[in-house]
Amino acid sequence: MSDVSAATTHATRARALVRRHWAEHVLLPAEMAGRELARRRGALGLLTLLPLAFYAASRADSDYAPVLGGIAMAFSISGAAIFCVMSSRRLDSRLVLSGYRPRELMIGRLLLLESLGTLVALVFAGVIVLGSNPADPGELFSGVFLVTLCAVPFGLAVGALVPSELESVLILIGVVGVQLTLSPSNPVAKFLPFWGAQRLLDQAGGGAGPTTWPIVVAFLYAAGLFVIACWAVNRRYANVR
Amino acid sequence: MLTASGLHHSYGARKVLRDVSLTVRVGERIAIVGENGAGKTTLMRICARLLAPDAGTLEIDGRVGYCPQIPGLHDLLTPDEHLALFSPALGLTREQGIARGRELLAEFGFPGGDHGAQIRHLSGGCQQKLNLTLALLGGARLLLLDEPYQGFDHGSYMNFWDHVARWSRQGIAVIVVTHMLADLDLVDRVVSLTPVHEEVGG
Repeated sequence: MSDVSAATTHATRARALVRRHWAEHVLLPAEMAGRELARRRGALGLLTLLPLAFYAASRADSDYAPVLGGIAMAFSISGAAIFCVMSSRRLDSRLVLSGYRPRELMIGRLLLLESLGTLVALVFAGVIVLGSNPADPGELFSGVFLVTLCAVPFGLAVGALVPSELESVLILIGVVGVQLTLSPSNPVAKFLPFWGAQRLLDQAGGGAGPTTWPIVVAFLYAAGLFVIACWAVNRRYANVR
Repeated sequence: MLTASGLHHSYGARKVLRDVSLTVRVGERIAIVGENGAGKTTLMRICARLLAPDAGTLEIDGRVGYCPQIPGLHDLLTPDEHLALFSPALGLTREQGIARGRELLAEFGFPGGDHGAQIRHLSGGCQQKLNLTLALLGGARLLLLDEPYQGFDHGSYMNFWDHVARWSRQGIAVIVVTHMLADLDLVDRVVSLTPVHEEVGG
């Protein structure tokens, strides 16, 4: 009985240590990144307005407006992720030298930006439901959330891999721009990160098609992009650890 | 404390370090001097393990505190928030880190009312004092300071060298990159780097 009790105590302590480590090494950097982002009120405003502007500009004469607006969210959310990684590079090297693991910094940013992106997605999906009255609001919400899901790791990966902001932004414009111009049925579109979201947003307007596969593809893409982002920062600081 | 031997490093075709060796003992104060482009910052980044040399070996005993030439602080965060951010990685709680950091900042003459001000509103000298404090926060045994007193007023500059002498007495080794000839009397040894006028394969 005492062995069982000791094992339980040991497990409880281990869990408490893991929680503390998680809070200090992942949530604290996320909190600081959040504080910094919250003080960029202009950027936050643009983050929300940009996809709305795409949607509003195309709503009057296009049934495709929810897709355009939804995918355009990737511009703002991936852009925020790119900025978050690139503006932190100098300090990140010192944080890693101090004892943070590069992946802890990335997980913190992922959590922060996915939370923020989800808020933007909620607002945006609400506006589209009111403005376009889609046939399947559930698919619309799912599509918008899938944009957020993929946009954050996409931005983190680009920010971690590409040396300068200009190249990063051009890659962002290129990938999202091409996704916007292609129909979801186009073979090239299927290889781009926002295809799953695009497919659901397209179907939300009244089209028919499977929903599971686009969701699976989006999750796989998001996971793959995040692994790439972590690999890139681990590689950059491999000498420190 | 630190033993580097046969370090080579190039940026593309431009060779910056060629066969550089350096040994630093406990409590030793070393100044690294040299022209622009001689590889001083590159050597410091290699010693901080932020940059891998193309060739050569590096052995370090103990925690390293690195104060880069360009602080790279977050403009919209405050000094307290920076101290909090670094604390857990250095084995300190947020409260301990802020308290210890404030003590160090006070030693460097950082204005007490500026702990909650955003970095962008601080003077260059105050930003540099925070930069230096972050290098010291974890109780490093080896300090790598790349022109750490840029923007310091005269009093702070003199005070900095008093601190270097004290750290040395405590057994902390200090390497300072400097362009100021007056500093050379304040260290135990001067290491002079000269630019490598040779391109890789040239």
